[in-house]
Amino acid sequence: MSGLPRSVYLHVPFCRHRCGYCDFTLVAGRDDLIDQYLEALERELRRLTQPLEIDTLYLGGGTPSHLGGERLERLFAMLRQTLHPVEHAEITLEANPLDVNEPFVAAARRCGVTRVSLGSQSLDVATLRVLDRDHMPDDVRRASGMLAEAGMSRSLDLMTAAPGQTVTDVERDLEAIVSLEPEHVSVYCLTWEQGTAFETQRRKGLLEPVTDLAERAMFEAAIDRLGDAGFEHYEVSNFARPGHRCRHNEAYWDLRPWEAFGPGAARFDGRTRVTNHRSTTTWIKRVLGGHDPTGDRDAMSAEEAARERLVVGLRRRAGITVADFETVSGFTPRQLAAKSIDRWIADGLAVEEEGRLWLTRDGLLVSDSLWADVL
Amino acid sequence: MPFDCKHIRNFSIVAHIDHGKSTLADRLLEHTGTVEKRQLKEQMLDDMELERQRGITIKARAVRMEYRHKGELYELNLIDTPGHVDFQYEVSRSLACCEGAVLLVDAFQGVEAQTVANAYSAIAQDLTIVPVINKVDLTYARVDEVLEEMEQSLAIDPEEVIRASAKSGIGIEEVLEAIVERVPPPVGDPDKVLRAMVFDSLYDAYRGAITYIRILDGTVRKGQKIRFARQGTTHEVTELGQFVPQRRACEELRAGQVGYLVCNIKDVKQVHIGDTVTVPGDEAAEALPGYKPPQRMVYCGLYPSEGENFEELRDSLEKLAINDPSFEYSPESSDALGFGFRCGFLGLLHMEIIQQRLEKESDLDLVQTAPNVTYQVLTSSGETLEITNPQDVPDSGQIEEFRQPIVRTNFITPAEYIGPIMQLCTDRRGVYLKTEYLSPTRAMLCFDLPLAEVIYDLHDKLKSVTKGYGTMDYELQGYFPADLVRLDILVGGKKVDALSIICDRRDADRRGRAIVKKLRGEIDRHMFEVALQAAIGTRIIARETISALRKNVTAKCYGGDISRKKKLWAKQKEGKKRMKSIGSVDIPQKAFMAVLDTGQERT
Ligand SMILES: Nc1nc2c(ncn2[C@@H]2O[C@H](COP(=O)(O)OP(=O)(O)OP(=O)(O)O)[C@@H](O)[C@H]2O)c(=O)[nH]1
Ligand code: SF4
Ligand SMILES: [Mg+2]
Repeated sequence: MSGLPRSVYLHVPFCRHRCGYCDFTLVAGRDDLIDQYLEALERELRRLTQPLEIDTLYLGGGTPSHLGGERLERLFAMLRQTLHPVEHAEITLEANPLDVNEPFVAAARRCGVTRVSLGSQSLDVATLRVLDRDHMPDDVRRASGMLAEAGMSRSLDLMTAAPGQTVTDVERDLEAIVSLEPEHVSVYCLTWEQGTAFETQRRKGLLEPVTDLAERAMFEAAIDRLGDAGFEHYEVSNFARPGHRCRHNEAYWDLRPWEAFGPGAARFDGRTRVTNHRSTTTWIKRVLGGHDPTGDRDAMSAEEAARERLVVGLRRRAGITVADFETVSGFTPRQLAAKSIDRWIADGLAVEEEGRLWLTRDGLLVSDSLWADVL
Repeated sequence: MPFDCKHIRNFSIVAHIDHGKSTLADRLLEHTGTVEKRQLKEQMLDDMELERQRGITIKARAVRMEYRHKGELYELNLIDTPGHVDFQYEVSRSLACCEGAVLLVDAFQGVEAQTVANAYSAIAQDLTIVPVINKVDLTYARVDEVLEEMEQSLAIDPEEVIRASAKSGIGIEEVLEAIVERVPPPVGDPDKVLRAMVFDSLYDAYRGAITYIRILDGTVRKGQKIRFARQGTTHEVTELGQFVPQRRACEELRAGQVGYLVCNIKDVKQVHIGDTVTVPGDEAAEALPGYKPPQRMVYCGLYPSEGENFEELRDSLEKLAINDPSFEYSPESSDALGFGFRCGFLGLLHMEIIQQRLEKESDLDLVQTAPNVTYQVLTSSGETLEITNPQDVPDSGQIEEFRQPIVRTNFITPAEYIGPIMQLCTDRRGVYLKTEYLSPTRAMLCFDLPLAEVIYDLHDKLKSVTKGYGTMDYELQGYFPADLVRLDILVGGKKVDALSIICDRRDADRRGRAIVKKLRGEIDRHMFEVALQAAIGTRIIARETISALRKNVTAKCYGGDISRKKKLWAKQKEGKKRMKSIGSVDIPQKAFMAVLDTGQERT
């Protein structure tokens, strides 16, 4: 399956400071690089030999809002030369609540942004402090209100399993988030990544992860509470009011081709996923020097692509429609993993009914342990 | 012109590991012009890939050199030997082909355990010893003290010791002179009936078996018929020659010489090390006494992780055994692991090497059980069973006597570590025999210890309590009764036969607790709770639980995330290949080694 990409991801690798748990591609406190970055981005966009008509555009980071209104408009002016969003395209911008103010929102509107993903993480002061975040709960409330007023679709991030956080804390956060009436919520469980300040402190015994029992309870609380509030749980970490799923992310999970630009950004042509070099400075140097900024290339055979499709498909709550899966991938799920699928069903981790195969809640919660057998 | 016996010298180089045998061999090859300088590589006789990787000699190697002394030309046959205790039998075989032994002692390390062991083997075989202090170039060489140690421990006259450096070439001429002057020539008669000792064999893909021989009497010529006295087979010699150090064909080999025979033998099993080569017919010479077969010290189970690869594993083992007759294997089966092989090795290093080769040369994923020593059980019906696998221990009711192998272990150490070594050995139920001083500051301690206590980690522990200065050597004494039990491990309520061990009853509780604790760390969490138990018979002596997995799901799976995640999952999958499912519990390879945990922070 290929055809021209109809989705574009843009990575904006700047943040005010680096949060202790974060291992994303970004530079903190290096605003001096922004102009070079924009220049390099313009160069990389020239890879497209013809203008691209797109349904979704996603500016992620880092913190895209850290560019500020003026530079954001410059960026979009540049993008418009090659990227042509269709009418009702979904244009998402990730934003730090602190960056959301009247002029910025106005600029974003002028740029055509339709959706803002707010890096809210929590509405609890203590949790925000543990997470090393620079905003306060009120900043989230204010930003959310302002965006709603501007007619933007809002997605709020909620972080669970922060050190010291309890299930009650998470329940309280969920109430607070629901009360802000966002269109979309993403719930992320904190992970301890190599090389982060958190991980170093954990090894020294200065930070302690919550137990996996608590982790599970927090996640289940989110599923239950958001479900009660009318959100559909449509993928492991994502919840949306009807009609408000993130169409951009759905393109990923459908394995549709997409384009991507910026350091660490990954693009996909239906078979091969190409990831740019993860270092911002290396990426800038390579692009401006006229060199290939690729860092990693993941080329898949038809079968490998089908296996990957099975994994991302099963991470969606609706699971996969067996017939469609076969039409698109050329394989039936059972051709790929009959033994495993039967075992999951027997163990109550998956259900197959009326031509659909999906993971139960129990299955979803431990799904990473299932994939080794599939891939 | 053929060399007569008077102009032949056969000698081995023996020493403790790393004292510089192979480097001295390099110098001798160079000095005698056997190998041109520009072709010379460091430790060039260590030409097996594994030897080069590990920087040690594994297999003894023979080389022929020519050396002119006082106007006369001599043929010198050198055998470089390994220093590691696992390969001790290679040394004794080599010594049997020689009249002399160059005994090397490191000028800094001094006399160490294998120095003593090898020197005694040479003395026991009536060889002339040419003592050499090597590495005198080292700035911290302590020549005088080492001379004293040699005198004290081996009664070597300091006057006779040659000071040399194999690295910088000091004393090489003296070593060669001493070999000619001190080592007696071989006594054979080239006109007598052929009688030669088979001291090694090797498999060559093109020529089949290559038989290494030392000729005691007679002459062997190309095209001649020969007979292996013990095996009783007759063959035609299609090629013969010497090592220079590569094989070089010649027309005949005569009494006193060392060389090789090629006889179109496809199956290396037809060549028995220690056999005698003679002529067919009535004239045939009597067989020589031969060698003691090598003693396998440890056994372990090797199983394909995919049951269907059993035959492939058999083929690979067979191929390996062709080149290494000291390793032995026989099929066995385990409830937990299916069909596999019980393999016997000379020691843990040997085991490691065989496994490494197996993995390199075949593409199999293997599950290995923890190594164990051999036990003997005298049953109530009066039968003696050799137990190489804990599974085979009969019910306690049928055991009259349970015996374990005991080794006499010599430690050589700076005197200040005598205390810690004593402690080490008493913790391991060693029986103290004696202490001898090699010099005011160095001592030799002698203990009888259960082999099982020696083989797994004693060497590492010794190195750590003596800051690396202590060395050890051991020799099997025999099997002696002990209060032993079989300890079983249950995973998820099922006994896993491949995890059973044999241990001293007094240690059973402690080891049982340690093993289940260790296993808890090795076995991943499952979707369900997994109970781990240690038991003697039906009595449970220790228990641990692995709680069920509650949550394991990647939160972010956007854009390029999946590529990164896939690498991780692929690694997990690789890990899973080495697992065995028992019931529905996946047990990783490492877990089978958990049973080696002694449960004691012993010194
Ligand atoms: N300084 C110095 N180093 C030496 C000398 N002879 C050997 N060595 C070093 O000692 C180490 C061991 O040398 P080998 O010749 O491999 O020792 P070996 O006795 O054959 O070892 P095994 O066969 O494993 O028992 C090497 O690093 C050599 O370079 C010497 O005369 N002087
Ligand atoms: S703001 Fe977001 S991207 Fe930036 S460091 Fe913090 S978590 Fe990472
Ligand atoms: Mg050597």
